[in-house]
Amino acid sequence: MTNYIGKAVKRVEDKRFLTGKGRYTDDIVLPGMLYAYIVRSPYAHAKINNIDTSRAENMDGVVKIYTGKDIAESGINGIPTGWQVNFKNGDTMKEPPHPLLVADKARYMGDGVAVVIAESREEARDAADEIDIDWEELPAVANAKKATEDGAPLVHDEAPNNKCFDWELGNPKEEVDKAMKQAHHITTLEFTNQRVIPNAMETRAAIGQYEEATGKYTLYTTSQNPHLTRLLLCAFVLGIPEHRVRVVAPDVGGGFGSKIFHYAEEALMIWCSERLKRPVKWTSDRSEAFMTDAHGRDHISKAEMGFDKEGNVLALRVKTHANLGAYLSTFAPCVPTWLHGTLLQGLYVTPKINVDVTGVFTNTVMVDAYRGAGRPEATYLLERLMDTAALEMDMDPAELRLKNFIPPFDGVEQPGYQTQVALQYDSGNYHAVLKRALEMVGYEKFRKEQAQARKEGKLLGIGFSTYIEACGIAPSAVVGALGARAGLYEVGQVRVQPTGKVSVFTGAHSHGQGHETTFAQVVADRLGIPLDDVEIIHGDSDSVAFGMGTYGSRSLAVGGSAIVKSLDKIIEKGAKIAAHKLEAAEEDLEFAEGKWTVKGTDKSIAFGDVALTAYVPHDYPEGVEPGMDFSSFYDPANFTYPYGAHVAIVEVDKDTGYTKLKRFIAVDDVGNVINPMIVDGQIHGGLAQGIGQALFEGAMYDEDAQLINGSYMDYTMPRADDLPSFEIDRTVTPCPHNPLGVKGAGEAGCIGSTPAVVNAVMDALRPFGIKKDLEMPLTPERVWRHMQG
Amino acid sequence: MHLKGSHQFNAPAHQIFKMLMDADTLARITPGVSELEETGPDTYKAIANVKMGPVSGSFSGQLEVAEKQEPESFVLKIQQNSKIGNVAADVKIDLEETGAETTTLSFDGKARLSGLLARTGQRVLSGVANTLSKQFFKALEEELENPAHQPA
Repeated sequence: MTNYIGKAVKRVEDKRFLTGKGRYTDDIVLPGMLYAYIVRSPYAHAKINNIDTSRAENMDGVVKIYTGKDIAESGINGIPTGWQVNFKNGDTMKEPPHPLLVADKARYMGDGVAVVIAESREEARDAADEIDIDWEELPAVANAKKATEDGAPLVHDEAPNNKCFDWELGNPKEEVDKAMKQAHHITTLEFTNQRVIPNAMETRAAIGQYEEATGKYTLYTTSQNPHLTRLLLCAFVLGIPEHRVRVVAPDVGGGFGSKIFHYAEEALMIWCSERLKRPVKWTSDRSEAFMTDAHGRDHISKAEMGFDKEGNVLALRVKTHANLGAYLSTFAPCVPTWLHGTLLQGLYVTPKINVDVTGVFTNTVMVDAYRGAGRPEATYLLERLMDTAALEMDMDPAELRLKNFIPPFDGVEQPGYQTQVALQYDSGNYHAVLKRALEMVGYEKFRKEQAQARKEGKLLGIGFSTYIEACGIAPSAVVGALGARAGLYEVGQVRVQPTGKVSVFTGAHSHGQGHETTFAQVVADRLGIPLDDVEIIHGDSDSVAFGMGTYGSRSLAVGGSAIVKSLDKIIEKGAKIAAHKLEAAEEDLEFAEGKWTVKGTDKSIAFGDVALTAYVPHDYPEGVEPGMDFSSFYDPANFTYPYGAHVAIVEVDKDTGYTKLKRFIAVDDVGNVINPMIVDGQIHGGLAQGIGQALFEGAMYDEDAQLINGSYMDYTMPRADDLPSFEIDRTVTPCPHNPLGVKGAGEAGCIGSTPAVVNAVMDALRPFGIKKDLEMPLTPERVWRHMQG
Repeated sequence: MHLKGSHQFNAPAHQIFKMLMDADTLARITPGVSELEETGPDTYKAIANVKMGPVSGSFSGQLEVAEKQEPESFVLKIQQNSKIGNVAADVKIDLEETGAETTTLSFDGKARLSGLLARTGQRVLSGVANTLSKQFFKALEEELENPAHQPA
């Protein structure tokens, strides 16, 4: 069997993961390795008057202690950001330095101030306790809106009112204001899309290794993005030559966005290793992960949607304060702007849209992309507006959506859909996903059950959410025009070995997605060879030519397409060799099921024989190079636009406010599907995280900007018994502009699910006549308080 | 975090006030305090061991008595540092005589935590604070009843 596309092939990588044989960064032990412990600020904002390391330096096992002063004196740069979003008036975005260790003042709780390097982890940690720091605590601010008020503490002196940028997209504000004035009804919501903590199962780790003999640097790191990390490390931070730097991201235990970014610890380990001439390893503990991994979301928004008498959307006006944290992380400026504002068309024909976003520094850890990155925030805003508007106008929420959906278009016969907010959707049939979801729910029957339940005093509710997202990130020219400082193509190299076995090198990085299976399916299917004959190699800059990593549901759409390009070159070259061996004209051959056949005959030559001929070219076509090894760069023509409809059914306990999620229905269109089991798994995981934000999760800061729920005793993650068995289905609208017709499935579940759950709770609470919005997470306490009025 | 509470003692205000100004007594009755050394007028160096939910630590730092209005009120300023984070608190203590031999002591203030203590201890802090204040009041009661411990 060589037809693999569309088959639920079991994941080949799971054997090593399930038997505990994965090889993660912290598993790597190098000869002579030292261990680093980073001393971090206990305050969210404090001046460092003095650091006394003398006692610590004399402790057992301590090799060296460096402070922010040493870093500053070495003249290296800080951590850069990868995106620039300027002020509306044209002023350049505020981009204050982000040193590897701070020398003057700490700007968030967890800011690194010193690093202790010792022979063992324990000795480094013990010595860190003996460092005396004379802190001068300063007032701090955690809330993005409050941070912009006059008199708020300044995170960086160079950013007045803590503003990093302000930004606007869509139709001119006057046009939107005018359309709003003509509206029959305006629905207004003011809410916080709360900050969530990514919580990858594997905490971050980094090993820096400098080899004096060769002048070569190696960084082992928990990264979704090893090549970009190398680029930033070399060209922007340390100024070391890229050809002497190898970045390896081995098995990585989850990222959800938090491991895309180049972190200070990575550069710091290289910097320390270069000085000490020994490898140095740092591994984050869980507590450190809570306070130093980049967080997600944290938007404060006011959103208004205007409707005419029939319920047609006339206009949307959005004002958002986006919390960026204390420094700019790699993608931070892009997430609340180009990944959020651009999705505010949603699935609706809204003719006038204006979105205004202020990016704000606060005394909190960096905020950056977290599963969905900007699109969940946009979807939450739109879908909460839709259900609230339906309630206020006494319309059915499903009907209201169907009425306003963009009509179907395939992107081939009909053109793509041009939105008011810069994007052109590729293809979609939005009515189909919602109709399928309604069918699965048994909508009419449910409304009857709900009416009966209400009579019996039970609080049963249904909530809808329909979403669209921009994936397959991204066309380089487009993102370049929008402020990206890198191209976002992908690289795929296919090396056919002399025996016909195939090694594939991809710049995408798997940290749970199952690339080793999905990509191998594509390759085996195209070449007509057994799956076992294909090996997927990723995560090592010395073996993979280049790459842009994995995020934004881009791996298959962009990375897979790059591999397909190389496969096409292999097949094209193979045909030349086959034609020579078969003594036939190239155009008379067809390639299928792993062999070239002379059309209409039984004369054929197998892929393996052609491969061997390419490497042992004794009898070989003239002018053709030996070997079979092709590398391709694929730069997508557009984003891809998966979409879907999610429905939640909940029952709220009248006495306790506890929300029981009874059913969750998800109908997603992610384009063509290579491995349905893996896509189901991605959807399931995304749903759990999205539901987690709706009901359980949320970082809490006190008035001194101290993170007060930074442990698993205090921060609630969804558990299996909090979730029902998901009911999922798909429609398939292929992407018209990539060779696989795929759109991306990694984030869909997390984008659609959150507002569906919140809408369902609001629907359940309808008998209480509650108009005021509830803030996530919808803990029993919050729901109960609202029921009490 | 807001700290607030009160307790009624069977003693006149001036007697309680005196006791609270005496370093030895305070060291004896304050839960967790192992050392209290006067370093200047109304300023003390303190060492304490406290367990707050999942975390425990050895704290050292300074106590200062300010805005002293004998025998009615004073403000206790606390700055304690430890490996697991720091505590800073300003607590106003009022003594109101409610009868010939009865006084109500009430306290009202704010404590601020940082570091690991804030991340993991905040959730249980009000419970810990209640327990500690109860222990303190009980110990103070016993001191008041024991004539051998009356300060000079």
